[in-house]
Amino acid sequence: MNKVIAIHLHGTAFQLEEGGYEALRAYLDNAARQLDGNPDKAEILADIEQAIADKFAARLTAGRNVVLTTEVEAVIAEVGPVENSSGAAADAKTEAGPQPFKTDSARTYTAKRLYRIKEGAMLGGVCNGLASYLGVDVTLLRLAVAVLIFFSFGTVAIAYLVAIVIIPKAVTPEQKAEANGPSQTAHDFVRMAREGYYEGMKSFPDRQARREWKRKFRSEMRDWKHNFRWEMKENFAAWKHGWQPTCPPCPPPPEAYSVVFPILSVLKALLLFFFVFAILSLIATGAVFGVSLPGGLPVWVGIVLLILAYKIVVSPIKAMRRAYYYRLQGRPYFWHPFAELAHGLLTVCILGLFLFLADRFIPGFHQALLAVPDFLRNTAESVRHWWNGH
Amino acid sequence: MSLDEKFSALRKGLLEFLLLKIIAADKVYVADILRQLSGTEFSTQEGTLYPLLSKMRRESLLDYEWQESDAGPPRKYYKLTAKGREQLRELTDYWNKIHGTVKGLGP
Repeated sequence: MNKVIAIHLHGTAFQLEEGGYEALRAYLDNAARQLDGNPDKAEILADIEQAIADKFAARLTAGRNVVLTTEVEAVIAEVGPVENSSGAAADAKTEAGPQPFKTDSARTYTAKRLYRIKEGAMLGGVCNGLASYLGVDVTLLRLAVAVLIFFSFGTVAIAYLVAIVIIPKAVTPEQKAEANGPSQTAHDFVRMAREGYYEGMKSFPDRQARREWKRKFRSEMRDWKHNFRWEMKENFAAWKHGWQPTCPPCPPPPEAYSVVFPILSVLKALLLFFFVFAILSLIATGAVFGVSLPGGLPVWVGIVLLILAYKIVVSPIKAMRRAYYYRLQGRPYFWHPFAELAHGLLTVCILGLFLFLADRFIPGFHQALLAVPDFLRNTAESVRHWWNGH
Repeated sequence: MSLDEKFSALRKGLLEFLLLKIIAADKVYVADILRQLSGTEFSTQEGTLYPLLSKMRRESLLDYEWQESDAGPPRKYYKLTAKGREQLRELTDYWNKIHGTVKGLGP
């Protein structure tokens, strides 16, 4: 996916690849320098631009509306170097050889705007959008935000929620393009084309020509808008389907994957089972696997600690499972809500089986299970007590 | 030095004469002119032609008018002025004289 730069040549709108834009810019700048001092400079340049525009138009077809760099170069070669034929001094100048191109910084219209980007987002897409906007890595930004949330005692979390409300979500393809960085927005493009249109209007002497020009401009703008929308959608779809080229180049997953994936699933369910068992035994007996809570900590603190420990232990397994899952699917690894849902359901099923077996065959587990309602009541009570105590 | 290089100055000088001839025959626009010249020794490009045409217009040898085209924006159609036709006549005479001289000299 190459960057495209929109230009107008004597009133006709074109989209060029970035390299092509640079080449054309350099060519026209050089032509302008060659014609310095020529009283018809502006007119000749306009004629040259028109000639280039005609050649571009001849190369574009209905389905393709971006002029490639190679095509720009070919057109420039066809039009040939601009030679000043207004006197001997000019000839001497051309003989002196080509002057070094002055490459002024490409005047790209980068209308970047802050949006929330939901594709690949963790929560509201705020970090994702902000990372695009600032041009930093989204993972780093997320880490920074997480750390900030921790050290700011939640103020940043509130700011995040506010940001979700305030920052608009990128919905239309144009907005997505804007959110994703330097791009030609439809708006800018239309503005530039209009400028060209008025310039063109001025250059026609009679009304007939002007009317024709107006009609041409309108139909061109219509075509262009249509093409732009379509192209953005295409680009976006390609982007969404993964950065990597679609699957032919990636090899079929080795046999081992179909073995490793179930093993990881069972391991994860087993860990969850132990986790639940630990919590239940903590409630029932005040101890986990025979280790009692240190120093009179309330039971609910023990549970929070257990949850944390479980999360930490299980996270690498979870990540591996996810990665294997996508390898099995032959797709690049990215987060997908439905895949996650499927994982969750699978885990719950395996867990249910384990619970059923444990209830059936492990003495004491049944009692622990019966103690759950009591425990919940007690926990609520102790939380309320702790809250009132502060 | 190839023939091409040897006569490059000659070709360059004759281009204006040929343009007068082409434009005298019919009202034309630049793509027409390029087409007529392409394939000949005088084949040229827009980058050369436009500055030359504008110079000739300044010398009031020719003029143009805008005319609509079936496809694309209006085009500049060139035609000779009275002075241009006069110049063409003079140049044609001069060319015939040169041609005669070249033929008459040597073996």
